[in-house]
Amino acid sequence: MGKRVRLEKRVLSENDREAARLAARFDRARVFAANLMSSPGAGKTSLLEETARRLGGELRLAAVEGDLATDRDAQRLRRAGIPAYQVNTGGGCHLSARQVAEALAHFDLERLDVLFIENVGNLVCPASFALGEHRRVVLASTPEGDDKPIKYPVIFQAADCIVLNKIDLEEAAGFSREAFRGFVRDLNARAPLLELSCRTGEGFEAWLQWLRARREAVGRGDFGRAGGRA
Amino acid sequence: MHEIALAEAVWRQVAQEMGRQRGRLTAIHLVVGEFSGTDPESLEFALGLGAADTAWAGAAVHIRTEPLAVRCRGCGREFGPEGISLRCPGCGSADVDVTRGNDLRLESLEVADDDGQAGPS
Repeated sequence: MGKRVRLEKRVLSENDREAARLAARFDRARVFAANLMSSPGAGKTSLLEETARRLGGELRLAAVEGDLATDRDAQRLRRAGIPAYQVNTGGGCHLSARQVAEALAHFDLERLDVLFIENVGNLVCPASFALGEHRRVVLASTPEGDDKPIKYPVIFQAADCIVLNKIDLEEAAGFSREAFRGFVRDLNARAPLLELSCRTGEGFEAWLQWLRARREAVGRGDFGRAGGRA
Repeated sequence: MHEIALAEAVWRQVAQEMGRQRGRLTAIHLVVGEFSGTDPESLEFALGLGAADTAWAGAAVHIRTEPLAVRCRGCGREFGPEGISLRCPGCGSADVDVTRGNDLRLESLEVADDDGQAGPS
């Protein structure tokens, strides 16, 4: 028998430290940073495109786009009028704080109001990696089914804001908003639940109001990160 | 499959600590929270891949699962949720903070003397 060396160390402490440095940079520049997470195809990029169109003249927006491959999403956002930098993770199923830090070399934070960090489409892995964000936004969409929250409880519990997209397809998808709300509220009583359609624009104003309010709070130094998070 | 990234982080921490230790690594002990989004089997598999052809290849991997515990913000009750709801059995609120079971920790290492003899405990 040898000796036992006690460590009790968080395995992701390296990412946590990098995330804390990012958080300090976002706070110093008073940029509201949102980590946007969803399964592939829920409409993260569509949400940002529509946000860019409606809010681009009012707030200075930018986006870091995470994908396994291609820069299609960054191109879409640039076409919608906001600066976007694409991170390709290779096989990586999530963005890490280091990747975001490297992406920031392409932005002047001092000249931004809101930075969106669009994570890799995945409802499991991104939940473990803090990116210095002020808020975690989890997006779901009606074609995915109304039971997504209970299938992926970790990410829905940790969400600071939950957006349900594609409500125009609710009926065709056989989706029950009542059931979805119930599942969400059994896991997370605090996060606002915003139901909208990027295509028809229904419900979109509430999302913009939420963004404006968060950006104003950060602007006056109210960073309000959830407990225990870098 | 972020378990590969997690395994890499584990071995980096092990390498860091073993730089301070004399002796040979014989085992690592990990705690995986039930609500950490980590699959223990995938993690074990990824750890094996990560250790191949390194000094840690022979080390045993012990993974303990830690159950989820939450505290109700409404009434302060601490409980271990069962099933798909985090609602407090006391007051019915789902406004809870996770107090345990949502992270992944490297708890300890076992180190033997180079010559395989028992080290000081």
